[in-house]
Amino acid sequence: MAETAAHTAAGIDPLEPRLLVAAHHDDKSLNETLLDHVWAKPGKGWFMLFGLALAALGLLVLGVTVTLARGVGMWGNNQPNGWAFDIINFVWWVGIGHAGTLISAILLLFQQKWRTSINRFAEAMTLFAVCCAGLFPLLHTGRPWFAFWLFPYPSTLGAWPQFRSPLVWDVFAISTYLTVSALFWYVGLIPDLAALRDSSKGKIQRIVYGLFALGWRGSGRHWHNYKIGYLLLAGISTPLVVSVHTIVSFDFATSLIPGWHATIFPPYFVAGAVFSGFAMVITLIVPARKYLKLRDVITDRHLENMNKVILATGLIVSYGYMMEHFIAWYSGNEYEIWTFYVNRARGPYAGVYWLMIACNVITPNIFWFKKCRTSIPIMWVASILVNIGMWCERFIIIVTSLTQDFLPSSWDLYSPTWVDWSIYVGTLGLFSTLFLLFLKFVPAVAVSEVKELQLELKHAAHHGSHGTDTAAAGTLTHGAH
Amino acid sequence: MPSLKPKLDGATMKDTPTSFALPVVSDKAEATPAHDHAHDVVGDALDHAAAHSDASESGYGRTYWRSLEEKLGKPEYLEESRPEFPEGADLPPTGVARREFMQLLGASLALAGATACSTRPVDERMVPYTRTPPELVPGNPLHYASGMTFGGHTSGLLITAREGRPIKVEGNPQHPVNLGAAGPFEQAFLLSLYDPQRARVLRYRKEPRSLRTFGEELVAGLGRAVTENGGGRVRFLTEPNTSPVLDHLRSRIQQRMPNARFHSYTSVTQDAASEGTRTVFGQPATPLYDFSKADVILSLDADFLESRPANLAYARAFAQRRDPGEGNLNRLYVAEPRFTITGGMADHRLRVKSQEVLAIAAAIASRVGGAAAGLAGAAAAKAQLNEAHTRWVDAVAADLRAAGARTAVVAGERQPAIVHALAAAINVALGNVGQTVRFVPSATAETTSAAGLRGLVDEIKNGAVDTLVITAWNPIYRAPVDLGLRDLLDPATNPNRSKLTVIYSSLFEDETSAYADWFIPAAHELEYWSDGRSMDGTVTVVQPLIQPLFNGVSTPELLALFLGEPYRTSYQILRDFWRGRAVAGTDFETAWETWVSVGIVPDTATAAIAGTPNVDAARALVDAYTPPAAGELEVNFVADYKVYDGQFANLSWLQELPDPISKMTWDNAAYLSPTTAARLKLEPGDVATLKYGGRTLDVPVWIIPGTADDVVVLPLGYGRMGLHETVAKEVGFNANLVRTANAPWFDGGATLEKTRRTHKFALTQHHWRMENRPLALDMTVAAFRAEQEKEKTKGSTVLARVRGDLEGANLLPDFKYEDYKWAMAIDLARCTGCAACVVACQSENNIPVVGKEQVSRSREMQWLRIDRYFTGDELNNPEMVMQPVACVHCEKAPCEYVCPVNATVHSDEGLNDMVYNRCVGTRYCSNNCPYKVRRFNYLHYTADKTPTQKMLMNPDVTVRNRGVMEKCTYCVQRIERVRIKARVEKRPIFEKELQTACQQTCPTQAIVFGTLSDPNAQVTKDHNDERAYKLLHELGTKPRTAHLIRLRNPNPALVPPKPAEGQPAEGGH
Repeated sequence: MAETAAHTAAGIDPLEPRLLVAAHHDDKSLNETLLDHVWAKPGKGWFMLFGLALAALGLLVLGVTVTLARGVGMWGNNQPNGWAFDIINFVWWVGIGHAGTLISAILLLFQQKWRTSINRFAEAMTLFAVCCAGLFPLLHTGRPWFAFWLFPYPSTLGAWPQFRSPLVWDVFAISTYLTVSALFWYVGLIPDLAALRDSSKGKIQRIVYGLFALGWRGSGRHWHNYKIGYLLLAGISTPLVVSVHTIVSFDFATSLIPGWHATIFPPYFVAGAVFSGFAMVITLIVPARKYLKLRDVITDRHLENMNKVILATGLIVSYGYMMEHFIAWYSGNEYEIWTFYVNRARGPYAGVYWLMIACNVITPNIFWFKKCRTSIPIMWVASILVNIGMWCERFIIIVTSLTQDFLPSSWDLYSPTWVDWSIYVGTLGLFSTLFLLFLKFVPAVAVSEVKELQLELKHAAHHGSHGTDTAAAGTLTHGAH
Repeated sequence: MPSLKPKLDGATMKDTPTSFALPVVSDKAEATPAHDHAHDVVGDALDHAAAHSDASESGYGRTYWRSLEEKLGKPEYLEESRPEFPEGADLPPTGVARREFMQLLGASLALAGATACSTRPVDERMVPYTRTPPELVPGNPLHYASGMTFGGHTSGLLITAREGRPIKVEGNPQHPVNLGAAGPFEQAFLLSLYDPQRARVLRYRKEPRSLRTFGEELVAGLGRAVTENGGGRVRFLTEPNTSPVLDHLRSRIQQRMPNARFHSYTSVTQDAASEGTRTVFGQPATPLYDFSKADVILSLDADFLESRPANLAYARAFAQRRDPGEGNLNRLYVAEPRFTITGGMADHRLRVKSQEVLAIAAAIASRVGGAAAGLAGAAAAKAQLNEAHTRWVDAVAADLRAAGARTAVVAGERQPAIVHALAAAINVALGNVGQTVRFVPSATAETTSAAGLRGLVDEIKNGAVDTLVITAWNPIYRAPVDLGLRDLLDPATNPNRSKLTVIYSSLFEDETSAYADWFIPAAHELEYWSDGRSMDGTVTVVQPLIQPLFNGVSTPELLALFLGEPYRTSYQILRDFWRGRAVAGTDFETAWETWVSVGIVPDTATAAIAGTPNVDAARALVDAYTPPAAGELEVNFVADYKVYDGQFANLSWLQELPDPISKMTWDNAAYLSPTTAARLKLEPGDVATLKYGGRTLDVPVWIIPGTADDVVVLPLGYGRMGLHETVAKEVGFNANLVRTANAPWFDGGATLEKTRRTHKFALTQHHWRMENRPLALDMTVAAFRAEQEKEKTKGSTVLARVRGDLEGANLLPDFKYEDYKWAMAIDLARCTGCAACVVACQSENNIPVVGKEQVSRSREMQWLRIDRYFTGDELNNPEMVMQPVACVHCEKAPCEYVCPVNATVHSDEGLNDMVYNRCVGTRYCSNNCPYKVRRFNYLHYTADKTPTQKMLMNPDVTVRNRGVMEKCTYCVQRIERVRIKARVEKRPIFEKELQTACQQTCPTQAIVFGTLSDPNAQVTKDHNDERAYKLLHELGTKPRTAHLIRLRNPNPALVPPKPAEGQPAEGGH
């Protein structure tokens, strides 16, 4: 193919310049490297982290208990700030989840092979992030024991949810998202669970992994059905990447509060979600690949590619900010102008606003430089900054819009309480706990897919000289050379 | 003298009653502790009781009592140990208990039940009705006329009772002052009835006693006092008395004890007015104004729209003249040191120090001339007019002269007698007397100021008094510090104290009760029969609505004990008195029945003083006047808008009511002007040390624009010790600690020094500016007419925005309304911001009080709020505009479509209904409400209601649980109640029979409610009024509440010419 020819001429694929799988492993050594950490006794570091995560989880339990026992008034929410940390954290967590779906589904559909070694990781992240996210809308209701009224079910009262409310759309969006993400993650995990079963040394492990492997034997027929099913799930997931955060953005965009009432919200929220999601993947994967010794499968090239996505989505987010401010000025609406130019930029939360600008607008631009894209410490710090920035963005959108809306008489500030903080830190703990358990009990990298990739690479290497079967394989060839 | 021994239905009474809340004291004699009069007498009483308690009886012994002591003052404890509580009062109104209450109700209703109402404390069984009287329908409210006395005025009230429980106070429409309205105090009066912290133990020092014992000891003691020297060693200290029956009792006591003396005291005395007018008219008089006839009004530091007593009638008449639909606007000039409600209504407000008011009064009087000239000239010599005020004074005087006898000059009670005399002189000179002003003899003849107590204090100090009977509210707290009442009644500091027996009767164990020998829990005014005169002399019959909840003793019954006569109930005392006054030949029973049902005794208004005023006689006042000390700051004491002088401090509705001006709750502060604060380098919330008159007091500072420079304003009524009154406890600071009898209202020579400490206030409104948004519209008549012209031609800037065409702005189809279209109109021109509506709403709709901490988190629950904005360019001297905002019931309600569970829905009559039991509490509706009128139960605010507090709840309105959103319902329960009646009678709802709670009580009738489907309804007319507009109209929410633009009527002579106002500026459009 022309592409191949060009590559050959150049000697290197400009888009795929670096190794997807460093060093050549056979199936056995891949099994060992990738499954080893499941069988190995967790190290001191893991236990320390796990302890830390459990401590944070304890805060969540405390915060939730206090909230349920005394009421949502234990939080800092007030009049006019009906929503604050609850929805900030909800949106933040949902956004973080987006990277997983994007990596798993969209990149699979586009046959971007570089996704292979990070998709499991990202999917797990999605799943746990959505779990954390889901807690907030439930807890933030005044009477969480009636929160099920948001689901359409044939109630004896004959009462239905109000389908005009974006919160009901949220319920559908988030529950669908959780279900599909969980299925997608689990289906992808089945061959590896079978590999774990087969390589397990104890009876209990064999039974447990065997149960979860659902009788996977790796037959051709299994693989055939599995591939179709996995692809279908990818197809179903794909719209979710766009829809979930679009619908979350409707919570704000359909309202009439200045700072919320904006048509740019859906694309800008989706981009923001991917932006923060990829940042979170970087934040987690950088230490994980070091301690799990996964450098060979999660290569610098993966990281660099993700940084490119961060750069791209970061620019979209910046454009979103720009448009918000432009439209506010262009509309001539004094409430909008107040919100964007007085309240946000110069108001009581101006510090948060400028932190947001620094983290979300300025930080990603360092990824124009290859040196920054490939430097592990820089990208790790940048990814954390992006996550902070995206949290600030949600804070700015939600809190500043509510604190000062139409009637100045009702304006009042918001400040979080210890319960707010403990629930937020607690969800970080929940997330970390689940993540550490995930690292411990299932392969963090999709072993079967890496093996498949390895085979494809080998195949490509053999036939590379007389053309390739697929563009993808061709790409991979050059990547591997 | 056995014949004098009162019969206190002694059969069922015991000396050591088992029924009292305090523990029974054992009979074992033991030496009483040496510190007889320690500060915490009640705490000691419990200590004592603990020491004497018989452990074998309870099985708990000391521990039990100690825990009681710990719980003392907490409502739970007081509630739990309440065996003397009237039978059935704490039960839900069902079954037999309700029937018993029906009987109580009947008792208060009419003659048949009369004796039943006064059977306390006998536990008298009543036989349930075999046939219920026709007026008693369970579930239907009944209304009774009653009254409330304070500050020398008795308000006429109309009280709603449900199943025997009074649940709502409204003004009596028949009453000449109330005219159907009731202020915050009157409405919150009900809360004090049910206050579980009220005292319930009659005690001698630390030991519970029965009323009979008290009576017997009194007879024994008084027997001596009376026989010795005609009661020469007996003194009474009472509230300013307006009650004919109490007057009668007093005169009979005086007959029996000719040398006994009565003194009256109140913090907010009308003495200056009496004194000022006394010199002019020869007798203490009260000016009564008819503002409906006044075109030009000058207020000399008079907050006549809010300061008691006749303000409700004044506000009604004044507001009538602010409505351009009712004729030409009046014009109000106010000279005052701090922003008052009246100052907020002024067309021209001059902020001056209190001491400068005299110079202004004198200058205006001399410019008006005539009869006032002589006095004015003399007064002007004493007070130099500030150059800067000359222009204002000239313009006001010219305006007054031009309007002639259609003017009114009002002097405030804070000003000295000479200012009142000058005001009277100007009124005389302008010919206002008989037109806009009439002078009537004062309702309270005696002096009620602190200065009048000096004699009493000296007598006590010299040991000339044996018995001091205090029925005045809490004199130790509220008397100026220099009288030294506390030291006087404290045996540690007064060597003659042991000769003195102090008998104190009050609703609460308070600062004064700690020093009383005998403490007698008082009955609430809604628990006994009495009467009282209003400002103009009209007598109100005060009838009880319920049996005494806490075994209180009524004032008439207490005073009657001093007559040494057989015991009579307050009902008998009152009726006997009025029967004795009945004109021979008339049917007293019929007349009495009418008085009780209407609430007032007809033709009791006092006639105006007929004599010719002698203005020059007031020159003596000029000679007697000594100007206040010069000095850095002028200290100003003011009665608080919420707790008055502290007697309402335990009422949580009022504590949480935002101050009309500062919007502060649960606090008072030293108010400064921005300039003064900047000069003293004080920020809002700083604590500063106030030094004045050799005393110091730490006060937190707050800034209010419009306060005069070099003035510090200290509201009275806070800093209560809160012995039992836990609501009032340690809220704010006690300004009485630096207030003196010489300068009860203002004086120079104070300083403020910043300390390192700060204080956190809880305000309900933080932002004072409108940010140039057209929200609370407020313009001059001329500007409004110009806007209207522009609207007719090419579209005006403001009016187009607030009521212009919104074509195409709504994509959704409109609702169809086939029947009623409920709507409200609020006239900003009439609204003074007095907050009576806020309390009415709170009372009607069972709105919880959340406490200072929650308010500071901005979680106050009041459905109706009054937005207060300062306008104008000058920071120090702004104008003020009030805007009541509750749910405006949008036709296109933004809250409705965002609720995920359909908990807020649109009714087919246009109400935006809130379905509490469907609400899950996402708060999305509140976020999306541009008016931010929704209120969320962040915590379970109603959880700690005691049984008595629950009696106060309006059964027609759900008590909301935690986690539920709530908001104004347009009083849907009232709509439904009249709908039932209308349906039964097969007719539409009449406009007159339906009023929302806020509308009902509004003293200025600024709020109108009704259906827009009736073209003749007032609300329809108001919606179509030229001044009507919709708040945030441009959002397309189509509110059902319209606001009417406030118009100002400035004096052209005082308005600086505004070049930008003319046509050329608009040419560019």
